[in-house]
Amino acid sequence: MSQTTPRCLSPTSQASGGLLKMLATQIRTEFLSNWRVPEFLIGVAAIPVMLFMMFGLPNARVTFPDGTTVGALMMASFSAYGLLSLVIFSFGVDIANERGRGWLRLVRATPMPGWTYFVGKLAMSLLFASLILLVLFAAAALFAGVRLPPMRWLATFGTLLVGGLSLSTLGFALGYLARPRAASTLGNLIYLPLSFASGFFFPLGQLPEFLRTLAPYLPTYHYGRLVWGAVGSPEAVGLFTGLAPTEPWLHTLWLAGSFVVFGALALWGYRRDQGQEGV
Amino acid sequence: MNIVEMEQVTKRYGPTLALAEVSLSVAPGEIISVLGPNGAGKTTAIAIMLGLRQPSSGRATLFGQPPQSRCARARVGVMLQESGVPGSLTVSELISLFQSYYPHTLPLAEVLARADLSSKRHALISNLSGGQKQRLYFALALAGDPDLLFLDEPTVAMDVELRRTFWAQVQEFAALGKTILFSTHYLNEADAIATRIVVINRGRIIAEGTPRTIKSLVAEKTVRLNTDAPLERLQGYPSVQRAEQRNSHLFIYTNEPEACLAQLFREGWRVSELTVAETDLEAAFMSLTGQEVQA
Repeated sequence: MSQTTPRCLSPTSQASGGLLKMLATQIRTEFLSNWRVPEFLIGVAAIPVMLFMMFGLPNARVTFPDGTTVGALMMASFSAYGLLSLVIFSFGVDIANERGRGWLRLVRATPMPGWTYFVGKLAMSLLFASLILLVLFAAAALFAGVRLPPMRWLATFGTLLVGGLSLSTLGFALGYLARPRAASTLGNLIYLPLSFASGFFFPLGQLPEFLRTLAPYLPTYHYGRLVWGAVGSPEAVGLFTGLAPTEPWLHTLWLAGSFVVFGALALWGYRRDQGQEGV
Repeated sequence: MNIVEMEQVTKRYGPTLALAEVSLSVAPGEIISVLGPNGAGKTTAIAIMLGLRQPSSGRATLFGQPPQSRCARARVGVMLQESGVPGSLTVSELISLFQSYYPHTLPLAEVLARADLSSKRHALISNLSGGQKQRLYFALALAGDPDLLFLDEPTVAMDVELRRTFWAQVQEFAALGKTILFSTHYLNEADAIATRIVVINRGRIIAEGTPRTIKSLVAEKTVRLNTDAPLERLQGYPSVQRAEQRNSHLFIYTNEPEACLAQLFREGWRVSELTVAETDLEAAFMSLTGQEVQA
């Protein structure tokens, strides 16, 4: 078993660039293949900005005692919404489609280690997420007069990205568990109600009682709480959301927990897809 | 030492038996054709050799290793059926991506040339025609300078002309000393380039041998006609392998339809409603296994 036939290389054969080259090529290819699809860019970047302009501008300049404006908090809400939709579509729906078309099967027959594919998707999503946030932040500053201290801008940006990353396993789970043709519908069924019930469209205080009771069980609600907390003081967030103040570590714990739970689900689906269970 | 080894592989999908105790070995440098009608189990066999599916029982190895191992996959190039490529990439971008997956590669220009895609290198994949896409899959299979090439029904969507050039390209690659395993349901394709043909039907290997041996078992053409020549007379022709009366027509299985017809006319028999067609493999294989041929 240990002996094997010698390689039969062509006269023109070249050594490949190694692991770093592979990662760089994977990320570059992922980015390009999405960047060239205008519908994707519009879906993930233009819609959050558009929604912010529609829902976020009317009361944007209402200011809380600590100086935080409603506009700044709405900007945070729609950023969270934007990253959630990116996670659901670029991980969930994309992966399901690539599975459905048979593309992943061909890729699986290559020596590429499976994690390279995920790193490519994550890196591409981080790039697009940054782009979405920069555009939204710029729109908020320009049209809603949002001004924050530099540290607050950075904290908001960082919380959005890291929190969004923690939701990535939700997308991966969708990508591997949904039937490819149902993925897009399922994606919409997941991220729209989640956004609404987590208070991304309207502050939770304005939503019906049962949604306010339900919200603390949604990972996206905890994502929202952390992001709002990065923008303004607990008092301002309390006045904006109409909710009692809470401990940030609780929300962090929730996000970490959902990352693990959905990660396990995604892994199970991934294994099943690999045919490792004899399917 | 064999580079592909299947030992007593059985594969069930629920109640359906896709492969039944299939054993197959491939030595370096061979060009193997897995020949069989649709649904015979060819794709399942290839998926198991590649480690894309697990056998229900039995064992498959590639280069002496489990087929899933990275070492084995680094030496294999693959063309599968229906691999929806990401349309918004260009031909050379996608080939470069595949090159980066393998420890050894062929130069991009050579891959493009071998797959006859040099003029399309900057084209978006979504703008390629069906035949060009097949050539792209071939290029992806070559990217890692593989020792062993798996081609699962590569010519299914190609017209006659494309098929001819495609097999020429495969042969050029094989000439580098490479091993090729391809599946097809066309006997003439298997005959033209394979060094060995493995005939598979209903999940079982029913015949195996050189193209010459297989052709002597399964005639390539079926001649259907009405004639006043008696059946026994036709069965005596040297060019005829088998002849039978079915419904209102006479069916003649032969590898030399021209010779057979020439003899019929020379002897002055009346011939009408003549058609010559590729033998329906399903029917031919049924007769090979001695099963009843249903008209």
